[in-house]
Amino acid sequence: MPAPRYRSRSLRRVFVRTPSGKSVLHYRKRKPSKAQCGNCGALLKGVPRERPFKMQNMPKTHKRPERPYGGVLCSKCTRIKIKAMARQ
Amino acid sequence: MFEIGRLCVKIAGRDAGKKCVVIDVLDNNFVLVDGQTRRRKCNMRHLEPLDKIISLTKNASNDEVIRALKEESIGCEEKKEAKHKQSQRPTKKKAVKKKLEEAKPKKVKTKEAKETKKENTENPEKTETKKKSINKEHKSVE
Ligand SMILES: [Zn+2]
Repeated sequence: MPAPRYRSRSLRRVFVRTPSGKSVLHYRKRKPSKAQCGNCGALLKGVPRERPFKMQNMPKTHKRPERPYGGVLCSKCTRIKIKAMARQ
Repeated sequence: MFEIGRLCVKIAGRDAGKKCVVIDVLDNNFVLVDGQTRRRKCNMRHLEPLDKIISLTKNASNDEVIRALKEESIGCEEKKEAKHKQSQRPTKKKAVKKKLEEAKPKKVKTKEAKETKKENTENPEKTETKKKSINKEHKSVE
């Protein structure tokens, strides 16, 4: 029987292979939810789903697409937005 | 729609939101653009045409495009030639180190080392006397 704090599902379970070949159960914190478009709510591509301590060590170019509104709006919504701005 | 000289806005990619001019029509899908964006082949679907047409020749150079856009009061970054500066190696540090080594002779307990030390201490006096004598000679010459 695992310790009481490990009996809830608030931690996610990861199987880790030890150097001796055993597979051991580790408990880790859950990943945050996927990034969404601020306009239409679609899931964003090119935005990793990691905890903040891992995101901190990543370079900026790995964390969002390199275009205006990258990591905030999806590509469809940016196109619509830029078109609307150009037509004004 | 996308004839030579047409002013456009790029919609897709990292140049999205930047203005550019069509320089060449490659086929019925692709055009060559230049301006605030990089000079590159571009899909027409990734461009939003504006109502201005700039008078430019086919395959106009980057300088010509930038000049034409400046007349329309559209600023562009002029591409600078990359200057590779040769890293200057610190030559002074070595000299300083050598001086320090000379000033602090290593402590050796052998008798020979002591003798050399004594010689070292004696030598500067000799040199000083020599210098003095040279100075005297100079004075005499004068
Ligand atoms: Zn969207």
